[in-house]
Amino acid sequence: MNPPVNKHNKRERDLQILGQWIENGASVLDLGCGRGVLLDFLHQQRGIYGVGVDIDPAKVAVCTRKGLNVWQGDADAFLRGMPDQFYDWVVISRTLQDLTQPAAVINAALRVGKQLAVGFVNYGYWRNRLATALTGAKLRNEVFPQSWEDTQPHNPVTVAMFEDFCQRHNIQILRKVYLRGDWHARLSLQPICAQATHCTCSRGADSYFRSKSN
Amino acid sequence: MFEPPTASTDQQPGELGLVQWHDFVCREEFVFDSGQKLPGITIRYETYGELNADKSNAILICHALSGDHHCAGVHSFHDRKPGWWNNIIGPGKPVDTNKFFVICSNCLGGCQGSTGPGSINPETNLPYGRDFPWLSIADMVRAQHLLVTKHLGISCLYAAIGGSMGGMQVLQWGISYPHAVARLLPMATTARQNAQAIAFNEVGRNAITRDPDWNNGNYGRGKGPQTGLAIARMMAHITYLSDKGLEEKFGRGKVTAGSNRSPLDAEFEIESYLRYQGQSFINRFDANTYIYFTKALDRFDLFGPSGRLEDALSAVSARTLVIGFTSDWLFPPPQNRAIVQALLRCKKHATYAEIDMDLGHDSFLVEAPELYTLVRNFLSV
Repeated sequence: MNPPVNKHNKRERDLQILGQWIENGASVLDLGCGRGVLLDFLHQQRGIYGVGVDIDPAKVAVCTRKGLNVWQGDADAFLRGMPDQFYDWVVISRTLQDLTQPAAVINAALRVGKQLAVGFVNYGYWRNRLATALTGAKLRNEVFPQSWEDTQPHNPVTVAMFEDFCQRHNIQILRKVYLRGDWHARLSLQPICAQATHCTCSRGADSYFRSKSN
Repeated sequence: MFEPPTASTDQQPGELGLVQWHDFVCREEFVFDSGQKLPGITIRYETYGELNADKSNAILICHALSGDHHCAGVHSFHDRKPGWWNNIIGPGKPVDTNKFFVICSNCLGGCQGSTGPGSINPETNLPYGRDFPWLSIADMVRAQHLLVTKHLGISCLYAAIGGSMGGMQVLQWGISYPHAVARLLPMATTARQNAQAIAFNEVGRNAITRDPDWNNGNYGRGKGPQTGLAIARMMAHITYLSDKGLEEKFGRGKVTAGSNRSPLDAEFEIESYLRYQGQSFINRFDANTYIYFTKALDRFDLFGPSGRLEDALSAVSARTLVIGFTSDWLFPPPQNRAIVQALLRCKKHATYAEIDMDLGHDSFLVEAPELYTLVRNFLSV
């Protein structure tokens, strides 16, 4: 059995990690900000200037009650309207799986942000592999609770796939944290043991300028 | 017949009931953006709720092209309809008069009591007509600022709220008087009109000026180019709605009664609706004001000579919530969104929210829980 993980402590861990990485007073763009939990936390703890982007009007309304800045719409449309290197940080936290064009969004996020923090649940976690192999059905557990007929199109991304993507796109991973099945302990082991990961990415200086001159 | 005032309860909003208008007579010279001057101006306004001791709870409501200062409550219990935004303003409503002191004035250049082309020019003892100075959105806002600061003694508004032309005024408030307003809530608006919106205004103006009774804008009270004004209103009214909204409300529904109808009689419900809209408009609106207001709309351009919206919006210090409506094809969502994106490019505090409604540009005037929640939430912090 998976160790008990609830929604609350998963979120706490996400906030802790990103709160350690993001410096005081930074400007932060949160793509897929939801109800603004991260932005609210960073605003209170780190005094950041934050902006969230989300497609869901109900979540945008909740952010409004918290006094947060939100832009209701698509991440790629928002990013297109922003200048290069505008935010200190762009955060894509547990949104990666739901993007229609992840590569385009990641590349645009690296243009608009000086650093990009990506956090996602690892579809390649060994328990997920085992469950899929044994049942031959769509994975269903606490992290992926819905049955296939109730879900949005979904990218089952693994740590290995993401790292391979970064390599192919000349994106440097500056820092990474793998979280164990209990979403708590950090791992330095093989990513197959990670149920979730967070990493900081940046475009190699070389490649950034090259891509600008194209 | 309208219900008398009722207090709000935890579950149920109340009603303002009877309200009164007041006149602010400003005897100082008023200089328009155009450089033209008037020796003084009168601004008609209403207020609802109580101003608190430190005068920090005032909300200004800015009206749209055909609106006026009467935005909530009734003037008499025999009024057929309450003020134009009665659904959102009142005790326990999203703009809660239990908490806020709400101000709404008839725009400068208007025809409902504020100085406008229909007012008497003291030099000639005749209506100004086309001698009235050219008017801009910023002029309207300057007159509101006089009302709020000089007359009511309020140094900083809690919020300015308005849709369409009212939204333009709200944006202009944030730019002209960044320290006199803490929150901006423009909706269904634009930083500048596209060619399509200017085109519709031009057709409206042509309908008026080609009416034989136009007489170059010189006509007495209750006279003038009434046919032209009614046609302008009928056409403009279509642009405030939407294909889907009209279809749901009227479809191909027919006017009943009368079998021997001429082809020129109203046959479909939509025809009779538009005729009614045109007719009721000429009873309350002035053709010169229509021309001055639509020109002010057309010339409003926050992109300015540089073409960069940021140049104007960098002055804003208020927190801003812009609301767009999906079915608004007059000032469509991208034009509302662009305002927020420019504010965010200036590192301002701004939010863009979009409401999925079928009723077109006028969606902001309609009862909608999503709109109410956004307004309440934004005003709560």
